[in-house]
Amino acid sequence: MSDVFLQFTQQLINGLTLGSIYALIAIGYTMVYGIIGMINFAHGEIYMIGAYISVIVIAALGLIGITTLPLVLMITLLATILVTSAYGWTVERIAYRPLRGGNRLVPLISAIGMSIFLQNYIQLSQGARDVATQPLISGGWQFGDADGFQIYLSYMQVIIAVVTVIFMTLLTLFIHKTRMGRASRAVSEDRKMANLLGINTDQVISMTFVIGAALAAVAGLLVGMYYGVVNAYIGFLAGLKAFTAAVLGGIGSIPGAMLGGLLLGITESFTSAYLSTEYKDVVAFGLLVLVLLVRPTGLLGKPDIEKV
Amino acid sequence: MQKITKRVLVAVVGMAIATLVGCGSKETESIKIALVGPTTGPVAQYGDMQMMGAKMAIQQINAAGGVNGQKLEAVVMDDVCEPKQAVAAANKVVNQGIKYVVGHLCSGSTQPASDIYEDEGILMITPASTSPAITERGFKMIFRTIGLDSQQGPVAGRYIANEMKPARLAIIHDKQQYGQGIAGEVKKTVESMGVNVVLFEGVNKDQKDFSALITKMKSKDVDFVYYGGYHPELGLILRQSREQGFTSRFMGPEGVGNKDISTIAGKASEGLLVTLPSDFSAVPANAGLVAAFKAKGEDSSGPFVMPGYAAVQIIADSIKGSGSEDPKKLAEYMRNNSFDTPIGKVAYKANGDLKEFQFVIFNWHADATKTAVTD
Repeated sequence: MSDVFLQFTQQLINGLTLGSIYALIAIGYTMVYGIIGMINFAHGEIYMIGAYISVIVIAALGLIGITTLPLVLMITLLATILVTSAYGWTVERIAYRPLRGGNRLVPLISAIGMSIFLQNYIQLSQGARDVATQPLISGGWQFGDADGFQIYLSYMQVIIAVVTVIFMTLLTLFIHKTRMGRASRAVSEDRKMANLLGINTDQVISMTFVIGAALAAVAGLLVGMYYGVVNAYIGFLAGLKAFTAAVLGGIGSIPGAMLGGLLLGITESFTSAYLSTEYKDVVAFGLLVLVLLVRPTGLLGKPDIEKV
Repeated sequence: MQKITKRVLVAVVGMAIATLVGCGSKETESIKIALVGPTTGPVAQYGDMQMMGAKMAIQQINAAGGVNGQKLEAVVMDDVCEPKQAVAAANKVVNQGIKYVVGHLCSGSTQPASDIYEDEGILMITPASTSPAITERGFKMIFRTIGLDSQQGPVAGRYIANEMKPARLAIIHDKQQYGQGIAGEVKKTVESMGVNVVLFEGVNKDQKDFSALITKMKSKDVDFVYYGGYHPELGLILRQSREQGFTSRFMGPEGVGNKDISTIAGKASEGLLVTLPSDFSAVPANAGLVAAFKAKGEDSSGPFVMPGYAAVQIIADSIKGSGSEDPKKLAEYMRNNSFDTPIGKVAYKANGDLKEFQFVIFNWHADATKTAVTD
């Protein structure tokens, strides 16, 4: 194997890792849009809260002396998902549900307000400084060798990929195999009709927010463990990128969000590698514009004339 | 009808509050100094250093009877090191009628804020902004108590070329006025000394994932990296580098030299080289001052603590020396006199830069301590 190929593979791994995280966050945007046709701008902040909670839980477990790695991971995962979902549910209940049925732009403004509120709330309660944690899991595998260049695959990268695949599969099964999933598909197709047929749409919408928040919590936990630094503002950029991924894949489409996330991650990685890190956002957003020119509904989106 | 009543009420209450505030400031008769810098956000540590030094100076000057019988009063403002916020903070300074500013911290925010101060005739001394562009515009009211990137960059560049002798150097920066500026200075110096720069590239502020960049440096066999920017990004680059098995040594300017780089990068921060102002807290003449900081439980070894102290002291000395509170007369006085401060004897060039300032290279350790490698 030549070192060019090895470097290519390494960049692909880097891109897939980054893309997995984008995809997990993008699901939250796309599901909410698919069901109520609204962009939840506070979703990036939900992800940020997830990252904070995971860092706090890991630190707390360390304090009370629980250090067995699998146990720490399980407890942290569960606690993070639980608490973050509660935030997702509450945000919907407070900021969006009372406004439902009114003008479409009203919940949008409410979402932006919520996003600013959550940022400041975390900054006030957790301090304005970056919170850093030491890596829980370090190390990895090295393989291939050409001209001194080795592919490095860290355990964390593998964990990110595996966890993403697991949660995506669970979500797909949930949407397609369960009663609640069927109800959510029905609401997404026609909310009024679903309501007339006896589906509790409010409940379905709440559940959508909870699922979106749970996946954002997983992303937050992975980011907290992988990069090790969180602050109150990480949600903004991550939210923007994930939103881009959702639009790229076709907003409203769940497989689209996964595809869009991975594509965005890989694009950024390859642009950094073969062009320049300075241009990675330029190329990523350029790609978005290009895709939208050719396919205005995104890669896997269905045309929908009714929604804004 | 009701709405109108409400509005009138709000207006009346508003005016009442405004009058109260107005009265309040008249009674105290103090000389206000605005301390502007980041007190929140990713680089708030540096803001703390600056504020700590400036507040100590104010406290000590007041304890010694103030300036011409008047007390100094600190008005702290936060600019989060963002150019937009910096302009807002500067406007606030103007609106509150404050005539002296110690700040801002990041060159990127000092630059737009200084335009406002110059126009409004407000005296500004930055204890931290090192970008040469700030004083290149022929302004009369803008001063520093810190050196320049055009001094710091060559110090770093010469050390790299003479001591590190890398075969393949990478220079990375954060595309900000400060980071890119100093990276450019380093590049100019090392290239003139024949060092092979294989990569000169910018990263995005707030970026978290640097794996692609690190892979690229690995594939180019980079054996030494200079980073122009602040610690949140470099900390992550260091940490991710070591995780990817990229072990080359790194060097950065004073913007990376604070405790948080070790919090973020952990063991990966061991052996990082940093150019900093010389450690003024180790100067024997400052022993009393260092003890005063210690008594308050504060650490005075940060690079911007003593410059912050010096900035306030220079303002106070100028008011005393010139016998005037007019900022324009103070600026004139500062150009024509010298001051004995904790950062040494300070004298100004016509453009507001220090006549002399020294940068020293430190070796950073994982426990956030540092040892000087040059003097």
